[in-house]
Amino acid sequence: MSDTTRIMAHVIPWYPDRAQSMDAVRGLVDAGVSYLEVQFPFSDPTADGPAIQAACSDALEAGFTVADGFAFLDEIRSFTDIPIFLMSYASLIYRPGVQAFVARAQEHGVAGLIVPDLPPDYDEGLYTACRDAGIACVPVLVATSTDTRVDLALSTRPEYTYVALRTGTTGSRTELGALNMGFLEKLGASGTKIFAGFGIQDAEQVQALAPHCEAAVVGSAFVRTIAAASGGGVYEAVKERAESLLGRK
Amino acid sequence: MKQLYNDFFGEFGGRYVAEVLRSPLDELEGAFVEALSDEAFMSEFHRLLASYVGRPTPLLHAENVTRDVGGAQVYIKLEGLAATGAHKINNALGQALLAKRMGKPRIIAETGAGQHGVATAAVCAKLGLQCRVYMGEVDMRRQKPNVFWMEMYGAEVVPVTSGARTLKDAVNEAMRDWSANFADTHYLLGSALGPSPFPDMVREFQSVIGTEVVSQLSDLGVRPTTLVTCVGGGSNAMGFFSPYIDQSEPELIGVEAGGRGPAQGDHAARMNGLGTPGIVQGYRSLFLLDNDGQVMPTHSVSAGLDYPGVGPQLAHLGQTGRVRFERATDAEALEGLQYFARKEGVIFALESAHAGMVAIKRAKELTPDDAVVINMSGRGDKDLFITARELDAERWKEFLTREVESL
Ligand SMILES: Cc1ncc(COP(=O)(O)O)c(C=O)c1O
Repeated sequence: MSDTTRIMAHVIPWYPDRAQSMDAVRGLVDAGVSYLEVQFPFSDPTADGPAIQAACSDALEAGFTVADGFAFLDEIRSFTDIPIFLMSYASLIYRPGVQAFVARAQEHGVAGLIVPDLPPDYDEGLYTACRDAGIACVPVLVATSTDTRVDLALSTRPEYTYVALRTGTTGSRTELGALNMGFLEKLGASGTKIFAGFGIQDAEQVQALAPHCEAAVVGSAFVRTIAAASGGGVYEAVKERAESLLGRK
Repeated sequence: MKQLYNDFFGEFGGRYVAEVLRSPLDELEGAFVEALSDEAFMSEFHRLLASYVGRPTPLLHAENVTRDVGGAQVYIKLEGLAATGAHKINNALGQALLAKRMGKPRIIAETGAGQHGVATAAVCAKLGLQCRVYMGEVDMRRQKPNVFWMEMYGAEVVPVTSGARTLKDAVNEAMRDWSANFADTHYLLGSALGPSPFPDMVREFQSVIGTEVVSQLSDLGVRPTTLVTCVGGGSNAMGFFSPYIDQSEPELIGVEAGGRGPAQGDHAARMNGLGTPGIVQGYRSLFLLDNDGQVMPTHSVSAGLDYPGVGPQLAHLGQTGRVRFERATDAEALEGLQYFARKEGVIFALESAHAGMVAIKRAKELTPDDAVVINMSGRGDKDLFITARELDAERWKEFLTREVESL
């Protein structure tokens, strides 16, 4: 393991229920992940894959509300200082008013917001609101984003940028591919810190990505781990999985 | 000339999508604007509208209904006589031709009731395009005959098992497919909603309805007082209304699904204060949302109106007052269906029957010098399994039982 191996772990409060989702957070924190991406479930998450969409549906069925989500963040704050990035969709941010939502996020100790369907040119004032509140607004890019789109994202002077990489259809699973690699290098040169993910499932992939970004984002892998351990032992299973992804086991 | 591409209509519309969908939408915007000003493209579109879709669809003077109502003259635009039974095929044909022009051999679509899916599947067969239709598992069960027809046309129908397993979930799934495959795939969206340029594009391809109505009324020497049609997402309404929206006349009425009543979850009406401004599935409009911004469940006897969001241009026209919105309940739609069948010999789709009932109420308030035009967006054959069960349960059950036994 190198010092630069960092993971941003994605969790969904209330998946599969409140207690077990908090167990998952504790497991992740104790395993030593560097960042948390907490996704507030939305009924129609168009930018997510099937595993995360299904988990969000389950969480909503288990009774998740936005108020519960913020209480969940408070509880995390009570035992760790790990930076928390709140990810959700425009509908949840827009409904109470963008400024109100951002203010609330800031009050609950959120380091930054990730809202894929509020890009900088259709942001409803999100970027300004975040700047005013002193929290990061993290633009989301893809490796196929055009230069114009990249420049637009960078014009917000983002401290962090989130990149959803394309999985290659050929080659080994650890191979990032020239397109992805080139994209990360170019973007990183601008000084923004990159969170990057592409459906990471094992430690080799984390290792391959580590030198090219601030942290590798791991999402659906933990969803699967939680699903398998649900009913007992989520803490241990998630901790072990995270340690293995970090190359510590 | 009217502007083809608007992006926003007042405060509604936009392109609120994750970055991955930006390039296909930017590309589509360019291709759409270019194609619509290309004479060769438009003449091919109109050639197929005539020979394949069966246009123009007739405008019927509903004389018996007019006499019975005793108010305004009632006319019915028989849009349901278009191939595959509804207006949906106008847009499907336009977009499929556009996809071909863009060099995209693969089409994906969402469908609720299956009307848009059937229209898309048919057009893809005609134009030699590969077709995959996403359909909620619940809808697939409810609308088996349409699944059968889509497959008959050679389309692959993929059940969607996420979320509520209905139309909105099929849209999510189609967007996901598009994100991964836009290089060779066009997403043929079925209503005047979604991220730009879809609302503008769907209106333009559907505007043939309104254009025909203008010339058919003018041939008859009739000046319309009121136009009435049903509103799901708004594609037939925008097409029907489009020649008139920049004028102060005629009166334009959109009819939403009142379902079982105004309680949450019992209807699919977003206007008149029932919906809230929101951003869902790539566009800003009025949606049925809870206080957190989660999309709420909807209900309508007509699957085509059973959707939580309204097209952004209609939301805007509702706000400015240019279009007035009313609701018809499930029961009123079923009543309308029977009324037009008996009186006029026309079987409305359940969606369109919502408009029929409201039109009659409006006609009663007017005089014989007035004219009310209803857009019958679809014909009712497709609803057999729903209407027979609603209206004649016992005998229908007997029939089905015998059918099952004879299998
Ligand atoms: C016959 C018919 N009318 C109306 C609609 C509603 O759609 P829109 O509001 O886009 O016209 C549908 C949708 O499936 C339909 O099949």
